[in-house]
Amino acid sequence: MSAALDAFLAARVYETGRALRRTSLRHTYLADEPLGVVMWRLGGERFRAAAIAWGSLGGPFRLAVAGEPRNRDLYFRALTPFAVDLCARVRRAATQKVARQNGRQQELIPVGALQIAVPNRATVGALGLLGRYLAYLSDRGGVAPDPALIEAGKHLRFYARHTRVAGQSLLVPLDRLISEHWATLLSPFEQANLAALDAQIEPPSAVHAFDASAAAEARTRVGPDPAEDIDRVTEALLAEFNAARGGRADPLAVEPLIGPLRGHYQRLVDPVWQLMNRVVAREQQLPAAPSVQRRFEADREAFGRHVDWVASGGRYRTTDTPRQAAMTLRRLEDAHARYEADRAVEDPACMIPYLLSGNAIRGVVASVNEIRVAARVNRVRRTLIALDTDEPVVLPAGKELWWTATAGDYPWDVQAVSPLGAGSRVTLMLRAAPTPARLPTVGERITLSTLHTGPDAYHLPLPPDPPWTHRPAAPPLSPEPIDAGDSEPPPDAVDGAAVADPGRYV
Amino acid sequence: MVRRRTPPDPAVEAALARVRGRAPQMRPNVRRLAAFAGVHSCPTAAVAFAARIDTDRLLAGTTAEMPFGQSPFAIGRGIAFEALLRKHGHAELRRVLSDGLGVDFSLAAIENLREGYQPNRHGLLVRASVTRGRMAEIVSNPDEPVVLDGAVLRADVGGLPAFFEADEMAIGVNGEIIVGENKSWPVVDGRPTDEELLGAALDQAATYILLGRRTLEQSGIDPARISSKAVLVTPRNTGLAPVLHRQEVGSRIRRVDRLLRGVPNVNDIAASVPPSATFDRIADASLAEEARLDAFGEVTEELGRVYEPAACLTSCGLAWACRRCVFAFGGPALAGGHIAHALPGVVTLVRVAQLGRGAPPSPAEAPTAAPIARAGRLYDEVLPPGQPAQQRPA
Repeated sequence: MSAALDAFLAARVYETGRALRRTSLRHTYLADEPLGVVMWRLGGERFRAAAIAWGSLGGPFRLAVAGEPRNRDLYFRALTPFAVDLCARVRRAATQKVARQNGRQQELIPVGALQIAVPNRATVGALGLLGRYLAYLSDRGGVAPDPALIEAGKHLRFYARHTRVAGQSLLVPLDRLISEHWATLLSPFEQANLAALDAQIEPPSAVHAFDASAAAEARTRVGPDPAEDIDRVTEALLAEFNAARGGRADPLAVEPLIGPLRGHYQRLVDPVWQLMNRVVAREQQLPAAPSVQRRFEADREAFGRHVDWVASGGRYRTTDTPRQAAMTLRRLEDAHARYEADRAVEDPACMIPYLLSGNAIRGVVASVNEIRVAARVNRVRRTLIALDTDEPVVLPAGKELWWTATAGDYPWDVQAVSPLGAGSRVTLMLRAAPTPARLPTVGERITLSTLHTGPDAYHLPLPPDPPWTHRPAAPPLSPEPIDAGDSEPPPDAVDGAAVADPGRYV
Repeated sequence: MVRRRTPPDPAVEAALARVRGRAPQMRPNVRRLAAFAGVHSCPTAAVAFAARIDTDRLLAGTTAEMPFGQSPFAIGRGIAFEALLRKHGHAELRRVLSDGLGVDFSLAAIENLREGYQPNRHGLLVRASVTRGRMAEIVSNPDEPVVLDGAVLRADVGGLPAFFEADEMAIGVNGEIIVGENKSWPVVDGRPTDEELLGAALDQAATYILLGRRTLEQSGIDPARISSKAVLVTPRNTGLAPVLHRQEVGSRIRRVDRLLRGVPNVNDIAASVPPSATFDRIADASLAEEARLDAFGEVTEELGRVYEPAACLTSCGLAWACRRCVFAFGGPALAGGHIAHALPGVVTLVRVAQLGRGAPPSPAEAPTAAPIARAGRLYDEVLPPGQPAQQRPA
C-alpha cells in the first residue's frame, strides 16, 4: 500500500465523515447465501466454544450452547448438530463435479464449494484450533466420539489453513473483506473490529464515522473471546447451571436447565448475526472483478481435493515436513503475487499505489510504429510506442512493463525516457510479434506496470530429500489426539478483584 | 552498569502526589513496565508512570474507560495452573523441570517465597533480600538444584524503587541460574496458541533475567551466571498438564535494558511538570463525564501526548480518551502510526484533504504535498467524489 494514498483517504474520510471505497470492484467471491458462523469461547479456554451459531446468511441461525463446555459429554452433545450440518453441507457442495482441462489431463473439480463467512480473523483462529482438537479425538472409556465431530474437525482445520491463501474465498473473515475494500479512519489494529468498520461505512445520519465506530466498538461485542463483563454474567449463569445439574450430564436432566445460558449467548449472537448479514449484503451489491471466478475455481479445486482426502480416510500432518513447508511457502507467495497483480490490473483504484510508487505509468499513446530488429538469427517484427505521461517518469532502459490489457502476455521494454511538458515521453518496445490484440491505438490512455498475471518462471520440483541444512533432528510427529485433558475437572472461575495482580495469570 | 539509588526527595514526592491527586495508584510490576514500554515516548504516559498513576482505572465510570479486565475463567485457569505446579510439594514442577532441563529435580530444594512473608512493602524487601542471598548460594554451591518460587527482584525504575515478582527465579542447575515463567495458555503441536502472549511472556522472562543480572552484579558476582535462555512452563494441549520450553531471549534482554534506562527520572519529571498539571479532576468520579474528559484534554495538552494506535490501544488505559482528543483536532495519528509518519510537516487531516485537492503547500509541507496531491488526483479520476454516501437512520 501507499502511505500517501492512505493519508489522503483518511483525510477525505475525516472530512466527509463517511468511509470511502478503496476499490471500484469486489475482489472476493461471495456466494448468494454463505454459511455464517459465530463463536463465543469461554475466557482463557482456547478449545471450548461456549456457544456456536451457524446458518445460511440471510436467514435465521441455529445456536448450540453446551452449558458447561469443559464437560466433554455436554460439549460434544452441543457441537454434534453443528458438526453434522457442516459435514452435510460440505458433502453436498462437493457432490456435483465438472470436468476441467489441465494441460493434457482432464480432472474433475466440484461445481461449487461451501463458503463460510465469519466476523473476524480471530474467529478463523478459533475455528482452526477447534478443528485441530476435533480432528484427532481419542476414545473415552471405550466409547468412540461421533464420527461427524472428527470429520467436522478436519473440515474446520482445512478451512482455517486455507485462509493463508491470498484472495481465497472459502472462509471469509468479514473484517478483512471490509478492510481490503474500504478506507476508514480506523488504524490497522482497530480494523479487527467488524462493528467499528461497519459503523464507519454506514454511520447513523448526522453522526461522524469516528463517533459511530467508537459507539459501536463499546456497544457490539463480536467475539470469539469474551470481555470481562460478558464472562462475569457467564460465570454467574454457569455456576447456577452446574449447581442445578448436580454433576448430571444426561440430556433429560440438562436441557431444561440450559435456558438462561442460551438466552445470554442468544443476546450476544443476535447483533453479530445482523451485522454479518448487513456487511455481506452490502458487499454483494458491488460488481465482482473478473479474476474472482478464477480464484474461486482454485478454491473449488482445493476444496474438492480436501473432501476426497477426508472421504478416503486421509489424515493431515499437524507439523509440516521441511519439504512440505517449502512447497507451501512457495504456493502461498505465488498466490499472493498473483492476487496483488489481478487486483491492480483489473481495478484502476488498486493501481494507484503502484502509480504513486513508480511501479506503474499512465499516459496517452502518441505513436505506434512497427520496426524490424535483429533477433538471434533473423530480423523480426517489433512494435514501438511512444507514451506521453501526465507525470515525470524515472525508469531505466530495459525495464519490463506489462500493459494492463495484456498483463498475462509479453512485456514491453523501456527504450528511452525524455522530458515532455509536465510529464515524460516513454518509448517502449513490445517483446513479441505485434498482433492487433497486443497493441494499443494512438490516442488511447493506457497503464503499464511491473505487475503481470502470467507465470513468472517454471518452478523446478524440489528434491525428494531436503538438504542437510533443512533436516530436522527428529521427523515431525504423526498427528496425535490433544484431548487428554478433557477428563480434568474444570478450574474455578476467579474474580479479578479478588487477586492482587490478575494480569499475572493470563 | 549499576544504577545509584538515591532516597526519594520529599519535594519530588510532594510534586508527584500533587500530579496524582485523587487518581488511583499502582505498584510497578513487570506487566506495568511492559505496558509502559509501548508508550514510553508519550509525555503524558511518562508523567503518569512516574507518578504511579493507575491509568487503567483513572477513567473508570466514563465511556473512555478501556476494557482491559480479564475473564474470571481465564484468571481461574491461571491460578489453577500455578496451583497444579505447587501441588504435593511441587511434584509437577519437579517433574517438568527434570524432563525439560535434563537434571533431577526430585530432591531439589524448592523455596516458596510467596508464603510466610508479609504482603506489603516490608515483606517484599525481605523477599528481595532472601532472593539475593539464595542466588549467591546457587552460584557458590553448584551441586544441588534449587528453585525459588516467587523470587522478588528490586530495581530502580525512573529513580524510584520497584519490586518485580518472578515465577521460577533461580532454578539453579550446576551453578547456572535459569529464569522461568509460568503461563496458562496452551501449546499445541509445539506451537503457541497465541503468539502475542508468547512474546509478552518472553519479554517478562527477559526483564527478570536483566534484573537478576543487576542483582548479581551488585553482589560482586559475574552476571553471566544467569542464563539468557529462559524457561517457559505452559499447559500442553487441552488440559493443564505442564510442559517446559526453553528460548533464547538475549535480544529481548537488550531491549528491556534500553527501555529501563530510557524511563524518565522522577526528579526530572517532577521538575518539569507545570504546577497546574494534575490528574485530580480526571479521577473525580463526582464530576460529569464531559468535565472529566475535558480535564483530561487540558492535562494532555499541557503535558504533551503521543498517540500511536497499535501501541496505545493495547497497553494504555488512556488510549480511548487520547483518541477523542486526536480526533477533535484531526491528528493524522488517528488512522495509524504509518500515516502520521508519512506526513512530516502536515499537522492535521483537514490540511491533508486540502493538499489532496491541490491546495498550494507551505515550504514545510512541500515534500509531503506532491504525492498526496497526486494520490488525490488519481483517486478522484477513478472514483469521483459526490457518489451517494451510505447512511442508515439514527
